[in-house]
Amino acid sequence: MPDFSAFFESLGYQTLYVFLYALRILAPVLALIIVIKCFRSVKLGRRPAAPVMMLEEVTTHARFPVLYWENSIGRSRSCDITLPDATMSRDHAVLMRREEGWFIIDTNSKAGTFVNGTKLKPTVRARIHPGDTIAMGSSALSLRQTSDSDLKKSRFSLSEGKRAASPFGTFLLMIFVQVLMAIQCCFAPEDPEQVFTPLPLVLLGALLVIDIAFYLFSMKGLGRVSFEVETVALLFSGIGLFLLAGDSMDVAVTQLAAMFLGIIIFCILIWFMGDLERVTKWRLPLAMCAVGLLAVTLLIGTSINGSKNWIFIGPISIQPSELAKIVFIFAGAATLDKLQTTRNLTEFIVLTALCGGCLVLMKDLGSAAVFFVTFLIIAFMRSGSIRTIALACSAVVIGLFMFLKVKPYAAARFLGWRHVWEHINDNYGYQQSRTLTYAASGGFFGTGLGNGYLHNVAAGNSDLVFGMMTEELGLLLALVTATAIVLWVFYVRSDVTRSRSTFYSISACAAAGILLFQSLLNIFGPLDVIPLTGVTLPFISAGGSSMLSVWGMVAFIKASDERTYAVRKRKR
Amino acid sequence: MKTTGIRSFILYILTAAFIGCMGFFLFELFSDGDQWAMQPYNQHLVAGGQLTWAGSISDRNGTMLVGSEDGVRSYNSDAGIRTATVHTVGDKNGYISTGVQLVYRPQLSGYNPIFGVTTMTGKTTGGNITLTIDSSLCETALNLLGDRKGAVILYDYTTGEILCKVSTPAFDPENIPEDIETNDQYKGAYLDRTISSSFTPGSTFKVVTAACAIEHLSDWDTRTYTCTGSTIINGEEITCMGQHGEIGLESALGNSCNIYFAELAADLGKDAMTETANEMGFNQAQKLDEIVVAASTYDVSEADENALAWSGIGQYTTLVTPYHMMRIMGAIANGGAPIEPHLVSSMSGSGLGNYTYDVTAGDRMMPEETAKVLQQLLRSDVENYYNSSMFPSSLEVCAKTGTAEVGEGKEDTGWVAGYCANPDTPYAFAVVVEEGGFGSASAAPIASQLLQQLAGG
Repeated sequence: MPDFSAFFESLGYQTLYVFLYALRILAPVLALIIVIKCFRSVKLGRRPAAPVMMLEEVTTHARFPVLYWENSIGRSRSCDITLPDATMSRDHAVLMRREEGWFIIDTNSKAGTFVNGTKLKPTVRARIHPGDTIAMGSSALSLRQTSDSDLKKSRFSLSEGKRAASPFGTFLLMIFVQVLMAIQCCFAPEDPEQVFTPLPLVLLGALLVIDIAFYLFSMKGLGRVSFEVETVALLFSGIGLFLLAGDSMDVAVTQLAAMFLGIIIFCILIWFMGDLERVTKWRLPLAMCAVGLLAVTLLIGTSINGSKNWIFIGPISIQPSELAKIVFIFAGAATLDKLQTTRNLTEFIVLTALCGGCLVLMKDLGSAAVFFVTFLIIAFMRSGSIRTIALACSAVVIGLFMFLKVKPYAAARFLGWRHVWEHINDNYGYQQSRTLTYAASGGFFGTGLGNGYLHNVAAGNSDLVFGMMTEELGLLLALVTATAIVLWVFYVRSDVTRSRSTFYSISACAAAGILLFQSLLNIFGPLDVIPLTGVTLPFISAGGSSMLSVWGMVAFIKASDERTYAVRKRKR
Repeated sequence: MKTTGIRSFILYILTAAFIGCMGFFLFELFSDGDQWAMQPYNQHLVAGGQLTWAGSISDRNGTMLVGSEDGVRSYNSDAGIRTATVHTVGDKNGYISTGVQLVYRPQLSGYNPIFGVTTMTGKTTGGNITLTIDSSLCETALNLLGDRKGAVILYDYTTGEILCKVSTPAFDPENIPEDIETNDQYKGAYLDRTISSSFTPGSTFKVVTAACAIEHLSDWDTRTYTCTGSTIINGEEITCMGQHGEIGLESALGNSCNIYFAELAADLGKDAMTETANEMGFNQAQKLDEIVVAASTYDVSEADENALAWSGIGQYTTLVTPYHMMRIMGAIANGGAPIEPHLVSSMSGSGLGNYTYDVTAGDRMMPEETAKVLQQLLRSDVENYYNSSMFPSSLEVCAKTGTAEVGEGKEDTGWVAGYCANPDTPYAFAVVVEEGGFGSASAAPIASQLLQQLAGG
């Protein structure tokens, strides 16, 4: 191996120091540009909000725009298509678009729904064509294409729907940031005697192969038009990868492998969710698998850092609770007609209670909290009932209170909260005080990759990784990472009514909620803003299972974009 | 779908919580970040290489002892001052664990909320520290110690300021001797003997035994023992330098009669002796500002009567630091409760804000009556028993010398500890000379010279 160290010594350490410092300023700025560009392109690239179809009242010729993929019809004001017809049920039926065409489902209405005079079986979908007459109560409706005159008098602007810029530019910029990270990593060799190590370049090579293969597969292979969601996920996976590599190359290699697996899971999940009938069929078995997996963990799992949430299979260790999160979303989300016909949440509450119970018994309070918040999001989006949420919250508060009464030692972990400086040398405040000290030491631009000390503290590169990132790469990059996570929520929210089904909207909201809440616990626990719980930071923390589950979450978010599946029709 | 869209606003509750937490964290970071970073365990500040860009350390007269110029740490230009203050200031490599430069490294290195502990070029600028010591007085003490190993520490017992603090063997931090690790002459050169070494106190400990008697025996002023030059306690002999006959406390302390104090300690018993020693700060962790001082030990829990008797004359396992002995003398001078000694006079411009020491009284070591009696006894020592040339009479020195046996075929350790009763020269001191022989001949002249320099200047 050529003597790189001597070469850089001849250049002078001062020059090298300034160069690396400049990279630490450049990388977060570029990352922020990528995040903002990706976020904006979503709004630019989507179809016009103007409706394609209209429902026309046959006798009065009143027209109702069909705005969504799934539309509830009824006399209730909360329906997507509200008909002023006292003989209709509040939520009478659901009109929905699938790849094959338009369908209508009677959602247990009192008066029933008739298509061309034939009464529909409740909850069974029936295909309809433009011109068919749909009778509900005393109204008769007919589906027809939107005409220009409809658009002229409508309030829908045509400004949206400009063709999105190709995601290739942002993708290239993302690659560039990964290269910048790898260069920094080259100057952070594990051997303190060396100044330079070429090993991160090997890692970069493998990462770039994954990046490009993924891009080509999505854009050329599947013919998708957008790659923004994946670009942001790849960007932060890459940043996390080199942050870990600055500490340990072995950890980074495992992380890269997990990332590759995560992308495969991402692709499988997108395919799986393409057919909502298939999803419906597999929901119950998957939910049972999740509970089974957690129960098995409880029985044969291994304790690491006090939480019995690991299963060792040969050399591979997995955290089943991470994978259960994916299944949990499947079990919770549902299509609009299912939401209208199954009003009660009993099944979902039982599933949550089982999963939560297992996690509490594993002493994995962080994951239990994540499951609970996911439950709240899904439950609220399904039922809209604040009473359900209030009941669930009070049940958990009472449960927690009783749990702490029975097992007072569990309360001990909260002892250090907001008192970490009194506990700098014991378990109640050691990790938090180190995180605060080293995060503050880093300033906005960090002390340099591999030039930190927080990674020496237990769980430094997983539970405390936000502090490690702030210390080594600077607060600026850490804030950009946090911003990206918040923007997932805005992204999901902005697209929520455009999804091909409420299944996608709900699951994407749940996924974004999980990413955000998990980040909240991971970032602010060690920073002593909230009590410390051991959860991972999406994309950044070391942890294979976490990486898989995070890419699973990204799949839900990707699936909520209607364009993800739109292209398949075009190809046929 | 519309309803689902509206309900998804629930995510904004979570988002608001996240942004709220972030705002709270950033607020705390900007208001408390300096305190977070300035922790003794922060490896960025205390580990790794030498200090480069950091604040300066000066003595009480503004003489710069060490500072940074163009990223190079440089000491005072005078080799004598550098050598005399090396243990107080600290060496470049941080081998002297009690050096101010090491202990106060966070404050000297500095912190900035934008750049943390680093900057674009690796340069940082921290606070400056002013010490209470007088570097020229230290240089005098260093010269007086010469080639001998030992420690000199002196402070103003009315303000707590340490004026002189020297440990030998010392070395020039700018020209570290190449044989510092191998040459016996430099053995223990990285140890500050004033605060990190505890020595067998010998006869200076008789002050503690006397204090114990004053507090525990009603007949302490009339009590006598007979000294025939040796005595047998619990089957083993204890010897005295002289044959003092029937002797009382004042005369016994003046003549430093071993028999008197050995018998006295045996009569006082373990409990009383231990109680008095503990009151005076033995067996406790001590701190000088932020600097950890070695604990002095007095432990007779395993001692038989003979060993207890030996402990009463400062032998057996008894150990004391010069710093602690000085503090005891300061306490006696101050009526029983010492003014806490300080080394760092002030700090400015560091991340922790400015600091100036306060004059504070420490825990009382003895009742005021006891202190009064000891004041008279120690004054009587110098006036009536010691050679009149030992200390100039105008200083009204009250002191006790000591000559401690250390065994291992080594010459005795010479001690002197005391203070000036003259309010114009309110100094308490302790001087130790290893293998110096009689304290009156080895240690006392050093103390006397320093006091004269102080009185003259």
